[in-house]
Amino acid sequence: MTEKRASGGFYAWLLQRITGVVLAVLLIAHFIVTHGLPHPSGVTYARIAPRLATPTWKVIDMLFLACALYHGLNGVWMVLQDYVESEGMQTFLFGVLCVLGAILFFLGAITVIPFAVQA
Amino acid sequence: MAEYTFRIFRYDPEKDEQGRVQDYTFEVQEGWTILDALNHIKWFIDGTLTYRRACRHGICGSCGMTINGKNNIACETQIKDLGTSTITIEPLRGFPVIKDLVVNMEPFYDKLYAVKPYLITRTPPPTDRERYQSPEDRAKLDGKYECILCGCCTSSCPTYWADKNFLGPNALLKASKFMLDSRDEGFEDRVNCIDDKHGIWRCHTIFNCVEACPKELNPTKGIVELRRLMMRGRL
Ligand code: HEM
Ligand code: SF4
Ligand code: SF4
Ligand code: FES
Repeated sequence: MTEKRASGGFYAWLLQRITGVVLAVLLIAHFIVTHGLPHPSGVTYARIAPRLATPTWKVIDMLFLACALYHGLNGVWMVLQDYVESEGMQTFLFGVLCVLGAILFFLGAITVIPFAVQA
Repeated sequence: MAEYTFRIFRYDPEKDEQGRVQDYTFEVQEGWTILDALNHIKWFIDGTLTYRRACRHGICGSCGMTINGKNNIACETQIKDLGTSTITIEPLRGFPVIKDLVVNMEPFYDKLYAVKPYLITRTPPPTDRERYQSPEDRAKLDGKYECILCGCCTSSCPTYWADKNFLGPNALLKASKFMLDSRDEGFEDRVNCIDDKHGIWRCHTIFNCVEACPKELNPTKGIVELRRLMMRGRL
């Protein structure tokens, strides 16, 4: 391919599938590790908090956060592209989704990253 | 002989503001198709009923309509196979109605023309024979070339209902037919139209088109194969 061409949503489509797979894997891990499936055990601060404070789980949870936000908001964007006719309105709503994503990512990050076990 | 009631969508742009439903009840003969019933109405009961048909054996693609909620061609739909004595017949969804069961197919053809539905070549053909295609390469086009352009697929596609600029299953299946043809060299000519905002990435794999196609073609499979081709060009 020599000529560069504009993408009509290939990367959004691909990332929706990649984040979907990552979410499925992380979701299963989440239910096993946090909720103790297949033998559910109490989700208590004492049991959960020390793990959440480790760097490994902070990285995993940040990945979870990024994938869930991208997947959810990109999914809404896909629906909007189908149902909103006006290009101007689409651009506006795309902006709203980006701002919403940025705010939610920030709120998630300041919760996950500095987390430490309280005495 | 059994009695059936046909509930048919009627719309006359010169008289009606909105569509209405008209019932016709009569005895149907063994072996009749929906097209036979429509012909019976038009010839013997109500000459104002308007619908398209030509070949009456499933090859011209004129008689696509919505029968008991499902898109099909009237001439290949056996009345007794429907399993109901009241049969609802509506024009194809998603296209503007002109009169009764006749819809404006221009938007459908526009999408088809957009994907350049003909063999595009750059190298000159051999002088002593036709362009060669191996039986294996030819077999890759099975399930892609048999389309009769009835519109049943695109008219059943929820993405098309929502976005009238969406290329739709028919145009994408046609595109896959040419882009996966070993003799075709038109990838660059078609790619920007397929890889468009209203192109191939808009399909949500709902499979309505597969269910609708009277020729039992699989536009979704064509779309998936085309996506694979698009991906190879990108990654
Ligand atoms: C189990 C993990 C998940 C997998 C494997 C997955 C997979 C997918 C796939 C493949 C699509 C694209 C469908 C299409 O082409 O239309 C999609 C769309 C979507 N997903 Fe997920 N997803 C998962 C979890 C989630 C979660 C947790 C949310 C909510 C935050 C979500 C929200 C959405 C939305 C809103 C859409 C767009 C709907 C649509 O286009 O039809 N998904 N998902
Ligand atoms: S599979 Fe794709 S093209 Fe076919 S009906 Fe569904 S959205 Fe439309
Ligand atoms: S793919 Fe099938 S349903 Fe669609 S136009 Fe062709 S024959 Fe009709
Ligand atoms: S009349 Fe030709 S396909 Fe039905």
